[in-house]
Amino acid sequence: MKAKKVVKDQKTNKKEKTENMTIKAPFELEKLSNDEYILNMGPQHPSTHGVLRIILKLDGEVVKDLYADVGYIHSSVEKMCENKKYEMIMPYTDRLDYLSAVNYNWAYALAVEKLMGITIPERAEYIRVMLAELNRIMSHLLWYSAYGMDVGALTPIMYAFREREEVIDMIEGMTGGRLTHNAFRFGGFKNDLQKGFMDSLKKFIGHFNDKIDEYEALLINNVILTARTKGVGILSKETAMSYGVTGPSLRGSDCAIDLRKTAPYSIYDKFDFKVCTGKNGDTWDRLKVRMDEMRESTKILKQAMEGIPAGDIMAKVPKIIKPAPGEVYTKVESARGEFGVYIISDGTDKPYRIKFRSPSFSNLSVLKEIAIGSKIADVVAIMGSLDLVIPEIDR
Amino acid sequence: MNFTEILDKLKAGHEVLESKEDLGVLNAWVAPKKIRDVIGFLKDDMHFNQLSFVTAVDLPITNNIEVVYRLFSYETKDNVVIKVKLDRVKPEIETITGIFATANWHERETAEMFGMKFINHPDPNKLLLPDGIEAPLRKDFTCADMVPLPKA
Amino acid sequence: MELIKELFYNSGKPLGELYTWAHGIWAGWGAPPFLLDLIFQIIIGVAVALVVVLNALWIIYYDRKLSALMQIRKGPNRVGPLGLLQTIADTVKLMIKEDINPKAIDVLSFWVAPLIIFVPTFAVFLVLPFGKGLIPADLNIGILYVIAITGLTVIGILAAGWGSNNKYSLIGGLRSAAQIVSYEIPMMLVILSVVLLSGSMKMSDIVAAQANYKWFVIPQIIGFIVFLIVGNAEINRAPFDLPEAESELVAGFNTEYSAMKFAFFYLAEYTNLFLTSAIGATLFLGGWEGPFLPPIVWFFIKTYFVVTILMWIRWTFPRIRVDHLMEFSWKYMLPIALLNLVITAIVIKLV
Repeated sequence: MKAKKVVKDQKTNKKEKTENMTIKAPFELEKLSNDEYILNMGPQHPSTHGVLRIILKLDGEVVKDLYADVGYIHSSVEKMCENKKYEMIMPYTDRLDYLSAVNYNWAYALAVEKLMGITIPERAEYIRVMLAELNRIMSHLLWYSAYGMDVGALTPIMYAFREREEVIDMIEGMTGGRLTHNAFRFGGFKNDLQKGFMDSLKKFIGHFNDKIDEYEALLINNVILTARTKGVGILSKETAMSYGVTGPSLRGSDCAIDLRKTAPYSIYDKFDFKVCTGKNGDTWDRLKVRMDEMRESTKILKQAMEGIPAGDIMAKVPKIIKPAPGEVYTKVESARGEFGVYIISDGTDKPYRIKFRSPSFSNLSVLKEIAIGSKIADVVAIMGSLDLVIPEIDR
Repeated sequence: MNFTEILDKLKAGHEVLESKEDLGVLNAWVAPKKIRDVIGFLKDDMHFNQLSFVTAVDLPITNNIEVVYRLFSYETKDNVVIKVKLDRVKPEIETITGIFATANWHERETAEMFGMKFINHPDPNKLLLPDGIEAPLRKDFTCADMVPLPKA
Repeated sequence: MELIKELFYNSGKPLGELYTWAHGIWAGWGAPPFLLDLIFQIIIGVAVALVVVLNALWIIYYDRKLSALMQIRKGPNRVGPLGLLQTIADTVKLMIKEDINPKAIDVLSFWVAPLIIFVPTFAVFLVLPFGKGLIPADLNIGILYVIAITGLTVIGILAAGWGSNNKYSLIGGLRSAAQIVSYEIPMMLVILSVVLLSGSMKMSDIVAAQANYKWFVIPQIIGFIVFLIVGNAEINRAPFDLPEAESELVAGFNTEYSAMKFAFFYLAEYTNLFLTSAIGATLFLGGWEGPFLPPIVWFFIKTYFVVTILMWIRWTFPRIRVDHLMEFSWKYMLPIALLNLVITAIVIKLV
């Protein structure tokens, strides 16, 4: 008797809830053929990496159509930023993409510096580059671990986190934060390098390339994984361009586009590194590009470590940040692609309009193009290869 | 290409209502009805092959909503900003999804954030917001939750 | 004490003799003999149940420790010395958890599924030769019985998938059905090769045929490798864990299960792992045969050797995709197993 009552209560509760919710139905159920059915992947699903909902129309295991439903964690950051002073916005940017927070800080700092015409001391630029590259490695390592989980390999995560821990420790020494760093200031950097940072960086660079080989042997070149990813989710150059796909996902499609090279910001033109590309634009190429990119980041780190000059880390910046009226768009190559900040200033201490152009937003929108016709397992593999971070899609 | 070259080329075939240089980047205002032509021209003939974003700005003083299209060329490394002034009461503009597929999502976001309508859009569903919230990025939008907390 | 000595060291004396001896005493008391049979069966049943449960507890702990070793972690180390009581703590947790029954389940299949999955694994223990004579029921179709009984598991998984009324569960169940059916065939062919060599389906005979260290792993090395792969696929463990592929199907056929029902699935999975390894050890590695140590110890050493290989595979590889899985079975495993069988038959005929 008691059990029955509980069930009844649950029923009534559920009814109340559904009345308040609106459910999007992108596929009309009446139009489904007898073999087709709808599967909701997410918003609570192990491989959507956050609160993302993919609605799949399936025929057996084959994906006939899909619809990405985003916005579950929309927080209207842009509106919040319009009501904040310039210097208060910085922490919001690194909450967008908590995995490569430094690059997001950087794009915002660049935008304000460009609006105000601040030039940054060279030492600060070097520190920024080093931090950004460490952050890129950190983000790619997390992607690698998560990708392993996505394709059912549970061991790679532990290996990647071993090195990621080292990187995080270094970043923590530099910024004080392990995830959302918030260490950039308009005109430079919060503090100078910590004692012993160079030693740990040197040690890290010394052994990291071997570790990347290890990762590749463990997962990327594994025969099961190559069978699953080669020729799957092929993203053509034209589609990628049209959808505004950027970052490693674009480079996998044989486009040598990396904002660090194509539109160099900061001092990236001083460094010698290669833009890694894939050939076929399939899932495996996107994986390989990220692995290669870590090697290139190590190269940049090495050059930065050798070339870092002495000097100031902060330019002279007015106490009150009040940029002249105008508008600016700056973009950086984050670990996921082009992250841009568009600011319209009206001469006050708050931006009139601020817009964040996030890479995952465009990268996710292309999923529909490349995942239709594959299997359920492929959707997971393809989605993983796009390296999505949900908060920056929803913003 | 520099600012003037792009402007000249654009002016050659299309009516530019107003133009401005902002930190070295061309901002050109065009008529709402011409937007597909202009974006198509920039993409096909001037090699602006990336649509960075589409967004809008609310300008209550002039009673306008300004739609901003920012394009970038990977070949010539040029930026261009195309702007369209719309009526704030009934902002409607043709979609450019057929030209740049990425505009699909950007336009959906812009539409719901500014209470706009993109005509002939393939998927008019809201992207980020739940139903019941209208145009949060308009300047006159206030939310009851935005009141600061009382001091303890 | 006598009995233990009998069981563990006096490998010359089969369990049957113990039974006859007990019957003698029983008859002396003038009690009806069927009662003794009943008592014997109950004792065997309880003993098997104990072995199953204790072994599962240990094997789960072993899996976690071994995976920790491979993943540069520490593994369970808080509950009890070296974390040995961790599994017990987990079991207790599962026992006292609320048993959630979703609203829209098919009650019968939802409730019966864990039992259907668990009972066959339990039943297979009856024909495992733990030592010479130490075999609960030495059927003369022992290995056939194993194949037949383990084949029942698929019904349970299908029932779980269907009864949960969840699409993830259903896909998991269907995947599992396809998988087990396709991998059953190469499995049988491999076992048939061994049966050809031993000339009997009786488990004790198969072990006896490998006496004096003429283990079948040497003539049947291909068979052994195929057995390992196919056996791993049959018990749904990574890289063949498609029915419960976590990143695709949340938890597959056991998505909606909780508490003790879930524990049954868990128990069945690890018991199956042990069973497959035990059968592998019996068929290919000479069963309980070995020097110095008691036979039952050798049996467990060999079984755990195979278990370790399977765990090693599990913690190394990513998951295979469903169509590749089918391809792998029908295009590679089946022809290899068939060829192995034919060659074995020809060689036996010639020699």
